[in-house]
Parts: sequence; C-alpha cells; structure tokens
Amino acid sequence: MFDARAHWSGILNDPARRPPATAFVNFECLGFDPEAGWCEAAFLLPPEAANPAGDAQGGFVTVILDEVMSIAGSIVQGGPAMSPTLQMTTSFLRPVPVGVRLIGRGEVLRRGRSAIFTQGVLRREDGTLLAQATASCLPRAMDGSPKR
Amino acid sequence: MSGEPARPTDADMLARFQNSKKRPPCSDTLGMRLVAVDQSAQTVRMEFDVSPSFANPTGAVQGGFISAMLDEAMSTCVIIASNVTMTAPTLEMKTTFIARLMPGKASVDARIVKLGKSAAFMEADCFDGEGKLVARASATAIPMPFKRL
Repeated sequence: MFDARAHWSGILNDPARRPPATAFVNFECLGFDPEAGWCEAAFLLPPEAANPAGDAQGGFVTVILDEVMSIAGSIVQGGPAMSPTLQMTTSFLRPVPVGVRLIGRGEVLRRGRSAIFTQGVLRREDGTLLAQATASCLPRAMDGSPKR
Repeated sequence: MSGEPARPTDADMLARFQNSKKRPPCSDTLGMRLVAVDQSAQTVRMEFDVSPSFANPTGAVQGGFISAMLDEAMSTCVIIASNVTMTAPTLEMKTTFIARLMPGKASVDARIVKLGKSAAFMEADCFDGEGKLVARASATAIPMPFKRL
C-alpha cells in the first residue's frame, strides 16, 4: 500500500532532496494534501532575480508558481509521480519583492486521465495577492511513462 | 513624433545594450546576451547560458526559468521598439512548453505584435543549443515612460 503522505513528506521536507530549481527560490514546505491535491510553501527570491526596478523579474515569479502547481499535480497521482507542464498562464497583479518571505499555494482543479489542471497563487505573508496562474500538465510516472 | 530622439542604427542600438553598465541582476543570473536587433521588424535575439542550478528533479530546466528567458527578451523588445522611451511591466504571460530544455546554451527570438499607447503585445520563441523549438510565449504589458536610473 503506497503511503502518499510519508512518501511526499520525505521529499518535500528534506532540504537535501531539493532539486536545484527548488533550492534557488528557497522553498520551505508549509503543508500539503495528496488526496485533495494542494501544496503550500514559503519562498524567498534571491537578489539575483531582480529586474531594473529592483522587483522580481516576472519569469522568476513563474518559477515559484510552477513549483507549487507541479507539486500539487504530482502528489495527487497516487504514487511516485511527476507532472510536466504543457502550458502555464500567469497574471502579475502586483510587483513581487525579492528578499521577502512569500507564500505560494498550488492546487489541482481537475485530475483527468490524460491531463491535470492546476492553479496557483502567490501572496505576501500579510495575504496581499501578488500573482496568480493556471496550468495544464501531464500525469507521468517517474520514468516519464503515462500514468492513468 | 517630434519628441522622440533620433533612431540609432541597429548596430548602434545593439552596442548600446551590449556595453550597458546597468544590467539588472536577472540578466546576469540568466547568462543573457543580446545578439541581434532589427528595429524595422521590431525583433530581438538573445542567447543564454542556462545554469544547472535551474534544473528540476529530471535534470531539465524548470519551466519558470524558460519563462524568465522569454520574459527577458519580450521586455527588451518593447524597450528597443520604443527607442528606449518606454518600458513595459508584464501584465500577463502564457508559456507553452513544447520540449525539454537541458542546462547549457539556449536562445530566444522575440517580436512585437503591437506596440500601442495603452497596451503592448509580444511573442517569443525559445530554442535549445541545436536550434530546436522548446517553448513559445505570448504576453501583454502596459507601456510606461522609461525612468532613467
């Protein structure tokens, strides 16, 4: 019997198992639910992500949202899995600061047989909404084969 | 337009950006180099050295960093198309991930779809080191007067 909570807790809560992209945005897992398909995490963008105005360049904001949305799309699949993104649309509601603790949340809207739809939001710790995204991704086993 | 400064040649515009001492941190982080400017076509081409520190668990570049390269090129395209009078903070951006990109060489071609007074529309394609298309983006932005730093 696959213990989803134990499996994903081991990956999401262990800094040593963080892939480079995840470490770049200083990911810190705050909570997740494999059954409902959501993940919440704190992030801190490094000064290297700043644009000429001193805020985060938009692409680095999408790095954060892609992280929490991909995790949501992965943990919902009921086994070791990944969820490569097909398409992602991001709305930049407010400037996103670098060097400030941010809260990202990704959740599954629909887990279909051949596609998973996700959404994500990025907020300041006081709840101010900074960015929002939707995406479609593929259910995939860790070897890249389709997972239904 | 009477207020607009005289247009430099494409070569002069390219040199101006290549020799700029005020590169934002994000450009250095992405290993960005502007390599071509065509002001009449309203296009730019950038090359990137994509760091292994942008990899996801499979070793490929996490999609957000691909969006960052596309955003970089589309934003620069607006600045150059406006003859460095406008900048354009991105309102919304859509990226389509067509194939995996591994860390290493990459390039982006960006173009203006329309540069209006109240809105700018851009598109960009990202290619891997072999020239294969790996991602495509479209974005909307609001042009703002460029504040000289």
